[in-house]
Amino acid sequence: MFKSDESKKFLKQDIETIIGPTVKLDGDFIGEGDIIVEGIVNGNIKTKKYLRIGENAQINAEIEANDAFIAGVVNGNMKITGKLEITATAKIKGDIEASLISVESGALINGKLQMKTGEETSHGKVKKGEVEPLTRSGMDIE
Amino acid sequence: MYLYIYDTFLNDKKFNQILTKIESRLNDLDIKGKICRLNLLKNLREIIEDSVEGGVNTIVAVGDDTTFSKIINCVINQEVIIGYIPVNKKSKIAEILGIPINEQACDILAQRIIKKIDIARINNQYFVDSAEINPRLNRGQKIKIKFKNFEITPIKNNIIRFCNLGALADNQGYKCNPSDGYLETIITPISKKWLWQAKKIEKQSVFPFTKVKIMAVNNPIVIKVDEQSIIKTPAEIEIIPQKLKIIVGSQRKFD
Repeated sequence: MFKSDESKKFLKQDIETIIGPTVKLDGDFIGEGDIIVEGIVNGNIKTKKYLRIGENAQINAEIEANDAFIAGVVNGNMKITGKLEITATAKIKGDIEASLISVESGALINGKLQMKTGEETSHGKVKKGEVEPLTRSGMDIE
Repeated sequence: MYLYIYDTFLNDKKFNQILTKIESRLNDLDIKGKICRLNLLKNLREIIEDSVEGGVNTIVAVGDDTTFSKIINCVINQEVIIGYIPVNKKSKIAEILGIPINEQACDILAQRIIKKIDIARINNQYFVDSAEINPRLNRGQKIKIKFKNFEITPIKNNIIRFCNLGALADNQGYKCNPSDGYLETIITPISKKWLWQAKKIEKQSVFPFTKVKIMAVNNPIVIKVDEQSIIKTPAEIEIIPQKLKIIVGSQRKFD
């Protein structure tokens, strides 16, 4: 179900920044390329490309990215212009805005979810097939 | 016109045969020039300045990676082209630049493929490869690295390197580009082996930058520059893009 190969494809391209597990970052990080986070971030993260938050990462930050893969802890709002993948180990506390979202069973999300696509129906609903079905187990969406 | 600067260790008789081969090859290729053998009494900076005034446009470091780094600091404000002939042992910097060792490097000089690469400045000193903060020299010291809009604090024991060429460091396979206009802060956790268990290798961190400030929380931190000189914090590192003209080989590891 999860296109992990697609995630790996992003990684093989030019990764700009890696915030590893032995680093703590405080402040606003604004990048132009891909970002991988495995450590601790307090502040804001912004990139025009791909953001990957690892299983052991702890983010207390507002996030903006084109595409994102979330497997860790995020306390902050997220604004994703493209696709957002949320894995079973993800714990998100904050509002989410994304065009396309994919959530694995077991993920924990507390916040508002707003979807924006280029093609919306007249009732403002997302077209069928563009969102993976959400399961109720382990999820609490306000 | 060429100036060949021989490092002091080449004064040992065991290098005579290799140097003869090198000089013979330079002669064959018609790129022979002035030879200067360094010793304790000679001032490298003065030798280079006098030679440039005398019309030398290409300065060749003959020796090892330390020789190359020493010469870079002296030529940084000169309009010259740098060459390198590594002698007798494999050179990590030469590998990145696509230069073989001993007399084979002369052919690279003759081909004269010139590339502009970035140079880094740390306080008043320049480096071409990397500056390193090693916990072995800075036991228990806490470090902060300030970038433009954020700062990072390494947790646990890490080797911190600020890389341009990144040849002298073990960067877990990360390849630095010396002509991209950026330096990289590479923070590599020190792996620990517990008894019979395999070493746990944690992922390194990589931050591209153009300027950083390094500060110690308590006592000054020792930074080793190009594995041949020492600087203490506070330190500021910035890149000078496309500053150095260097003769490289076609097998170099960058564009």
